[in-house]
Amino acid sequence: MTNAVVVPPLDLAPQTRSFDPAAFIEPTSRDEEWKFSAFSQLKQFFIADQSAGNVHAAGVGVNMLDIHQVASTWIPTDLAAAIARANVTEAGVLEIEAQSVHKEPIVIDLTTSTTKAYQHIEIVAGRLSDATVVIRQNLTSQINGATVVTVGDGAKLTVITIIDGDTSTALALQLPVSLGRDAYFTGALAIIGGGAVRIQNAITYTAPGGTAELFGVFLSDTGQHIEQRIFVNHDQPHCKSDVMYKGALLNPGARSVWIGDVLVRKEAIGTDTHQVNRNLVLSDGARADSVPNLELETGDIVKAGHASATGRFDDEQVFYLQSRGIPLDTARQLVVRGFFAEVLGRVGNTHWRDELLAKISQRLGIEKFEGDDE
Amino acid sequence: MSTDQAATIDELGRYDYGWHDPDSAGTNARRGINEEVVRDISAKKNEPEWMLELRLKGLRLFERKPMPAWGADLSGIDFDNIKYFVRSTEKTATNWEDLPDDIKNTYDRLGIPEAEKQRLVAGVAAQYESEVVYHKIREDLEEQGVLFLDTDTALREHEEMFREYFGTVIPVGDNKFASLNTAVWSGGSFIYVPKGVNVEIPLQAYFRINTENMGQFERTLMIIDEGARVHYVEGCTAPIYSSDSLHSAVVEIIVKKGATCRYTTIQNWSTNVYNLVTKRAVCHEDATMEWIDGNLGSKVTMKYPAVWLMGERAHGETLSLAFAGPGMHTDAGSKMIHAAPNTTSTIVSKSVARGGGRSSYRGLVQINEGCHGSRATVKCDALLVDDESRSDTYPYVDVRDDDVSMGHEATVSKISDSQLFYLMSRGMTEDEAMGMIVRGFIEPIARELPMEYAIELNRLIELQMEGAVG
Repeated sequence: MTNAVVVPPLDLAPQTRSFDPAAFIEPTSRDEEWKFSAFSQLKQFFIADQSAGNVHAAGVGVNMLDIHQVASTWIPTDLAAAIARANVTEAGVLEIEAQSVHKEPIVIDLTTSTTKAYQHIEIVAGRLSDATVVIRQNLTSQINGATVVTVGDGAKLTVITIIDGDTSTALALQLPVSLGRDAYFTGALAIIGGGAVRIQNAITYTAPGGTAELFGVFLSDTGQHIEQRIFVNHDQPHCKSDVMYKGALLNPGARSVWIGDVLVRKEAIGTDTHQVNRNLVLSDGARADSVPNLELETGDIVKAGHASATGRFDDEQVFYLQSRGIPLDTARQLVVRGFFAEVLGRVGNTHWRDELLAKISQRLGIEKFEGDDE
Repeated sequence: MSTDQAATIDELGRYDYGWHDPDSAGTNARRGINEEVVRDISAKKNEPEWMLELRLKGLRLFERKPMPAWGADLSGIDFDNIKYFVRSTEKTATNWEDLPDDIKNTYDRLGIPEAEKQRLVAGVAAQYESEVVYHKIREDLEEQGVLFLDTDTALREHEEMFREYFGTVIPVGDNKFASLNTAVWSGGSFIYVPKGVNVEIPLQAYFRINTENMGQFERTLMIIDEGARVHYVEGCTAPIYSSDSLHSAVVEIIVKKGATCRYTTIQNWSTNVYNLVTKRAVCHEDATMEWIDGNLGSKVTMKYPAVWLMGERAHGETLSLAFAGPGMHTDAGSKMIHAAPNTTSTIVSKSVARGGGRSSYRGLVQINEGCHGSRATVKCDALLVDDESRSDTYPYVDVRDDDVSMGHEATVSKISDSQLFYLMSRGMTEDEAMGMIVRGFIEPIARELPMEYAIELNRLIELQMEGAVG
């Protein structure tokens, strides 16, 4: 019966949470959650694969533990995530001691030795700690899993994630972040390569006063489908979220999807939230979807807003540079680089900021410019 | 919050047009829908065979299509408890005196005769229940060849043109409610403006639902020929009833080369009406389509006026105003589909939620491959007057060409204590101050309305704010 009662979900929050894959209905490409996705490349993750291995994490202070020894509070919110959680056997765990201050970034390298792998990484920042973590992942296979981040009370944590790889790879990644009282989290996500990449970044606050800054840059080329879904769940008073994602689509067939969901619950008074997505379409036949959703259940907030813009680079800027004697090609490259510099400039760690900028420049075919740091 | 302010917020949801006439025509109408009902509607209207076929096709598609699983909660609609066709008077009246007294009385309270006397109205197609009962076009418009008829008459008198365009913009299977409308449509306006004709005065139609549980399924078809220009205005008010009503209209507009069409709607359904409307315009080369859409009432509104920019340099514009009070959910917005180079579109949405109401903006901007030089902007502003109401924004953007620019921006603000304090320090009461801030917020939309509508809109807001004074 087609007139059957269908009540649409009341808000953007996930409808089901469970460790049991059987609790989820298998998604179809017509579902709101998946209609923008590279469904044909990602649907492999809806079936458990016993032959799949684990993603291995290596770095100072990182331990590979049996999954049963990991006390994770995060509960999967979709079928792929539940399957990964149920089938992963080892997890990479980094615990940052309470009150410790790490001046040097902690670098974690993620690798796989199988064609298909499940991932589970836990990063726990103890209370009042201060650290920067860099996660490097050069995709060589089909990966389904999660990187779970917990930021303790008053802790300050920066996580820089760099994802690269060729177009035959697929990645379905959950990136849940939970913030304690007055915690400060900065997430910088750079997607330089990879085939079908789908990242769900969910921010939750467990106590008042938390701040989440999420920055992202992504490059999408022919054969790439880069999808980022951000969900910020404001259900604690006086928390902040600031989201800025910038992407460039380089050649025909490139695809990018950016979904920024912000839900401000009734109890989240004094919330301050803003999200921005800017996409640079550098070629005909590339497609950029951008959906910044905002749901407010209370009016007692500081401010809430979002903005999204998609277009080609600014001809006026190119013209200005040309008028200064810079050839057209170089001028264009400079403008593209400047486009990304705005968001990368907000990543505090200068070494990794420059590293990222260099990677992007290389990917864009931009050579070093005079005045660049050696 | 002071008690005054709380009372003001209570007052905001008051519905001032909540009377209704003794039900003279609706009592005997049948409830529920099946093939027999559809055949009966078609037979009563003496329709040609092809229209009956189309209606039956619509019915089949309606039965097959699923209910939307997104947007507002529509589970309260009972399709078996709706009257799909109600005939209020047997004939279409040609002048005011011919109208029955109770209908005249209703219109008197809506202010139609005054408007007519002042010749502010070019032609009034007043829809009372399911059929247009009153119709008048200014003589000079008739001389110019402008057709302004109710849709049923248009089908009888201009079948060829009707058949050429009907269902071309919104096909019978477009969505569940468009299918339903195709199956049981009745009434609505038909407008044809010949080449190069500029209709200087707005064409107006008043709609009114007056039978409990009666769905109103009007069908509007407008063809604006090359270089022509028209402004169509419709306003809706409905009496309050205890059980739910369904309003599911379809509006199709064809704006040909170089033509301009502006379609203004002020909708103030009572808070038990489900208002699910499909509105779409096709814009050819150099044509302009403007939707001005005010949604002030209803239990649930889901309405996304769309413009398909099919010809080069076509322009689409939507100004949308949503006002959600207690128990109301307004899910409104606009869709702009760019399918030709150098096309431009603008969406401006303003929403106010109060007393626990929920107002959502939902829109789509799609710029297809090859539409170089196209530009689109979307701006959504929401004003929160209290802490218990809800405001959402769901803007979809899909860009598939490089040489375009697309921008979206949304802001949510609340009436701050300092704004109120400033105005009150100038001698205003709290309610007056709030009224002024709300009026200022919607001013960009109000100023685009014909004068009498702008006055009505401002008066409505003023009335609601005044309630708590003293």
